[in-house]
Amino acid sequence: MAELDRLIHEPARLRILTLLSGLDVADFTFLLNTVGLTKGNLSSHMDKLEKAGYVEVLKSFNGRVPHTDFRITADGARALKEYWDALDTIRSLREAPEADPDRK
Amino acid sequence: MTEQHGTGRLRAGDPRLVVRWARRYAQSRTISFLVQWAVIVVMVLVIGLAANLTSMAHRQDNMGLFYLSIALMCLVMLALAWFSLSRWGGEFIWNVTQWLYGGEGYASFDPGAGRGLPRWLTAAGGGLVVYHLVIAVLVSFGYVSLRNMQPFSALYMAPYLSALILYQGLGFWAWVWPGLYAAHAALLLCGAPIRFPAHFPLLDMIVPVFGYGLVAILLGHAYSRYALWNLKKLTRSIASDVPEGQDDPDTEGGGENG
Repeated sequence: MAELDRLIHEPARLRILTLLSGLDVADFTFLLNTVGLTKGNLSSHMDKLEKAGYVEVLKSFNGRVPHTDFRITADGARALKEYWDALDTIRSLREAPEADPDRK
Repeated sequence: MTEQHGTGRLRAGDPRLVVRWARRYAQSRTISFLVQWAVIVVMVLVIGLAANLTSMAHRQDNMGLFYLSIALMCLVMLALAWFSLSRWGGEFIWNVTQWLYGGEGYASFDPGAGRGLPRWLTAAGGGLVVYHLVIAVLVSFGYVSLRNMQPFSALYMAPYLSALILYQGLGFWAWVWPGLYAAHAALLLCGAPIRFPAHFPLLDMIVPVFGYGLVAILLGHAYSRYALWNLKKLTRSIASDVPEGQDDPDTEGGGENG
């Protein structure tokens, strides 16, 4: 049975990573407005994703104004793909139980 | 980051369609183009007026005014080139764009990320300015009618814009501009009654250049609203039936904010 990455399986982090996988970069405000979390909750999830190496934090300046963007890393993209593949496997097993010899 | 999922194979409602709508949204963020458009419109209006003034001075044999308006044309052309190429110009566009987008935040997707524009295309941008300056000078000396500037302009502008769109991976909205601009030139050459009155010759050039650009930009912005609406709906639907924090012992619980 395929195992799901528990870090990604948390709904908020799954949303964040799926969103970031479609973009080059996104800033905190965009993630906040799109995913629909509180600031504290989003910060907490981004910290976990960064520590896991799934998200990269990019700090820059626009003139004198600091700007923070987020980007999914190669590890994060790979982990997300594996997560969705595992989920697809689980779903296909549920939809075709007679194909699974363990269910006899 | 390159796409990890073939969204073409996904069924309607699949949360991975977030990837598709995120890219459509990011590629339709056209406010920055609107800001550039506004700056360029102002500068080109000044150039056009100077060209008109030059033509008038040439007819009246007023050489002082003639050389002054030529100098004004060249000065504004240089200012336009500087604004387009300088870091200050980029920062100005960024700051105004972020102010106009308000609390929406920033997201980007560039299919050609890291590749950059080829040198020939960058040089063609400079060539665009020179080409139009030459046309303006020819108009000033009476070799080209001001009312025929638009078809001459379309010969360069339409292919150049098309190349930019391809290399920058812009959305479908961007093709409206060169498409309409070229179609307008073809209609003029075929004698279609789409010219402005004779005493407003500048409008035959200015309205197609900037009008069709504005149409494309506004179409892109409208599409970005639609894409963002779909993106939010899909993103928030991912695992919406699973309570937050249930699988994560470190999370203190949910905190959805609308």
